[in-house]
Amino acid sequence: MVISSERREHRTVVEPAPRRPSSEDTSGLRLERRAGGQLVAARGGQTQTVKVCRCFPWSEPGRFVSLRDSEEEEFALVTDPSDLDEDSRQALEAALVEAGFVLEIEVIHNVEEEIEIRCWQVRTAQGERAFQTPRDEWPREVPGGGLLIRDVAGDLFCIRDPDALDRDSQRHLWAFID
Amino acid sequence: MNVEARKSDLEIIDRYVGQPSQLPRGLRDRIEQRWGEPVVLYGLADLDAGLRLARTWVVLGPAEIAVVRETGSAGTNGDSERGVPAVESFEISTFPRSRVEQVESRPGLSCHVLTLLAEPDEPPLAVLRFTNRQRQAMENIQFTLEQALEGLEVPVTDADAEYVEGLAKPVRDAQALVAKRRFTVLWRLLGYLKPYRRNVTIGMGAASLLTVFTLIPPYLTGYLIDEVIEPAQSGALPLERASTIAWIAVGAMAVIYVLRQLSNFVRLRLMAVLGENVARDLRTELFEHMQTLSLSFFGRKKTGSLITRVSSDTDRLWDFLAFGVVDVSLSLITLLGLGVVLMYLDWRLGVVMTLPVPFLIWAIAWHGRRMNEIFLRAWRKWSYVTDLLSDTIPGMRVVKAFHQESREAKRFNYRNYDVAAEFNAVHAIWTTFWPILMVGVHSMILLVWVFALPRLLGTSSLPELSPGTFVAFLLYMTMFVGPIEIIGQVARIMNRATTSAHRVFEILDTRAEIVDVPEPTRLEPVQGRVTFDHVTFGYDGVRQVIRAMSFDVQPGEMIGLVGPSGGGKTTVINLIARFYEATGGSVRIDGVDVKQLDTGHTRQQIGMVLQDPYLFHGTILENIRYGQPDAAVDRVVAAAQAANAHDFICKTAHGYDTMVGERGQTLSGGERQRISIARAILHDPRILILDEATSSVDTETEWHIQEALERLIAGRTVFAIAHRLSTLTRASRLFVIEDGRIKEQGTHATLLANENGTYRRLHDMQVDLQAAV
Repeated sequence: MVISSERREHRTVVEPAPRRPSSEDTSGLRLERRAGGQLVAARGGQTQTVKVCRCFPWSEPGRFVSLRDSEEEEFALVTDPSDLDEDSRQALEAALVEAGFVLEIEVIHNVEEEIEIRCWQVRTAQGERAFQTPRDEWPREVPGGGLLIRDVAGDLFCIRDPDALDRDSQRHLWAFID
Repeated sequence: MNVEARKSDLEIIDRYVGQPSQLPRGLRDRIEQRWGEPVVLYGLADLDAGLRLARTWVVLGPAEIAVVRETGSAGTNGDSERGVPAVESFEISTFPRSRVEQVESRPGLSCHVLTLLAEPDEPPLAVLRFTNRQRQAMENIQFTLEQALEGLEVPVTDADAEYVEGLAKPVRDAQALVAKRRFTVLWRLLGYLKPYRRNVTIGMGAASLLTVFTLIPPYLTGYLIDEVIEPAQSGALPLERASTIAWIAVGAMAVIYVLRQLSNFVRLRLMAVLGENVARDLRTELFEHMQTLSLSFFGRKKTGSLITRVSSDTDRLWDFLAFGVVDVSLSLITLLGLGVVLMYLDWRLGVVMTLPVPFLIWAIAWHGRRMNEIFLRAWRKWSYVTDLLSDTIPGMRVVKAFHQESREAKRFNYRNYDVAAEFNAVHAIWTTFWPILMVGVHSMILLVWVFALPRLLGTSSLPELSPGTFVAFLLYMTMFVGPIEIIGQVARIMNRATTSAHRVFEILDTRAEIVDVPEPTRLEPVQGRVTFDHVTFGYDGVRQVIRAMSFDVQPGEMIGLVGPSGGGKTTVINLIARFYEATGGSVRIDGVDVKQLDTGHTRQQIGMVLQDPYLFHGTILENIRYGQPDAAVDRVVAAAQAANAHDFICKTAHGYDTMVGERGQTLSGGERQRISIARAILHDPRILILDEATSSVDTETEWHIQEALERLIAGRTVFAIAHRLSTLTRASRLFVIEDGRIKEQGTHATLLANENGTYRRLHDMQVDLQAAV
């Protein structure tokens, strides 16, 4: 018997949960986006406000999207959004834009090393931003190409194509890429 | 938050975060005027609906919420955007808090969405999008609203402080001090030389003499050639007199060389010892200061980083104080002295020699900067190598189990070759630069020859140059290279020293969060009564992990703390031991608020047996005696017997004198646990804390430990955390802690009787689980 969480233990032992369709079964799954941006999922008579979670945000961003309810339980696992009907697919994609949002660096004005942090001054597609990274943390390459930088607050900055940056930006980036 | 900490956080926000350090004053006044009530909390949503950087202030009042969109600026950074916009550039919309029916949050990678919902059929009251940078301030608002929906109030005393704390914390945790004013840091460092003023003066004096003595021999050489050898060869000076003068000059040179090395000896010895003493003082001050800091500090900082500060940073400062300061000062003096002497000997050649010097210094400084950039890249590659090593060596069992040895070897080789290529690039640069620089220096010498030769041969219209002056010149020229090299590296030397000094001062400037009152109370003896009176506590922001918790535990009672993970059990014991300070209410021991107690004395009365017992490098005897270093050995043996540790200790070759190695790694988990119980028994505390003491051992060992614990707890006030409820059946009372509150309390039997209770549910689950296994 494999029990992976306390909640499941409780459910298994005390009051078995009503069996619901496998989370990977997306037939009959309908998604709708409400005014506040909430994604509502309906399937087999059950309706839930769900959060979207990409299982492979960098290596397979277009597939394997986990829909999780307010208790963080998986309501459905969408292995391929193209299996959904057109409206649901669009609703899912809109929700993914927000959930997968990262700031996109277009120009690097300056990178300055300090004692424990590295200070970046950049222009992103979303506006100007100054951020800091720990000095022992490096930009990492992502499977789909490009670089990902995580700042001290946890915000992510991506550089889709480092070669497409202007010369000055590339000069600032030189020490951090191969 | 104290004034200094607040000032430092404001400085961090100003320098690094680039957004207002408070809600614009005019806006706040306007909102408070409209509401007739003060602002309770606020935060900044820095993304708009199109996910562009923007500014929307969310302001919480006692009864109202304001959502304020700034229309005057587009982003959250840049100097032009730091200024507070005019009140007219805000779009303010407010609504009563009572309209909020639900608060929903959707986390994302870098965009979090907080939605305030009214009735189900109504549109949302507010949809707020923000990056991680704003998260703590926004979570404060979310938490306060959620609590209000449950009818609970969250006390907030200073909205500005909460906002500043949330914004500055991520940067502060990475680097506590703002890195600027290098000279201030350097000046402070030099202050550590004060106690050694005498040695500094003598050392610097010796160094100055060394410079003077270095400058004399070439001058004497020139003098000998012009005034003695040449006149003697031409017959202008009698040979006998010439010989006398020459020998005196040679003798003088010998004396000067001896004095020069004597000065060098004094300088090296005094400054090396002095640097070592300062480094020792710093290490002592650092380590002693670390002992006073709160546990939260050690939670924030990596152990490796703290060790480096005490070891290699102080070592680097020794190098700077012993040699860097002197070398840089002397190089300046030498260059100046050389310039003066050369000008004095022959100003025309002097100009030829000294004019290129600034260029050479610039070239070396430029090279240093370039090397820094290249080193950064090499350092990154080097970290990939060390990452792989620290990954695979501890995980070698897994590597072998999955037969991945060749794959790991390939990975390592790839990185190893990569880093070698990078360092070869570094070598290519410096090995090219220095010969080129020396070509420059040689060119200067050639230039001197070019200018000097016509004058030496008498073919120039300029005054003749004597061979002695020229030889002196040549000798002085060789002295230029060393000081130029040092001056060119001044920036690097200063940078390294200020970086290390900054890292050391960052620790020294961290103030302990838990400080005793001026005349603390000492409970003698401690009875062991523990009272929580409406205690609230939160680690970050306004989110409380302990909420208005009250209980009163009598001396000798055994309290079992149970409940789901993250419910607050460990926080309760951290508050009893005063590792953290309650943010509201009071924790009392024997009726006295722990804030009034002598913390050190009180902690002596508190014993702990933790899930992963920590043993220090040393013998078993030293470890058992850790809290009572003077305890007699018969008491140690009695404690070990009571802890069921005596038998296995005696089976080892060296008995109680067995070295347990770093963190006790030479012993099994159960053995370490029993030694820690023996340590607690010897310590004889009035209040005992058992935190999952038996959770990581096998059944037989658990039985031994349980038996030892029963001896240990007798007659003491005990707080025991355990997930295995069967270990708590003897508890006088059980507290079921969930979501920061005591949900249920009573004896094992009374709690089991409540069929719908959490304890009953947890108990049934464990019974069923055991049956299934």
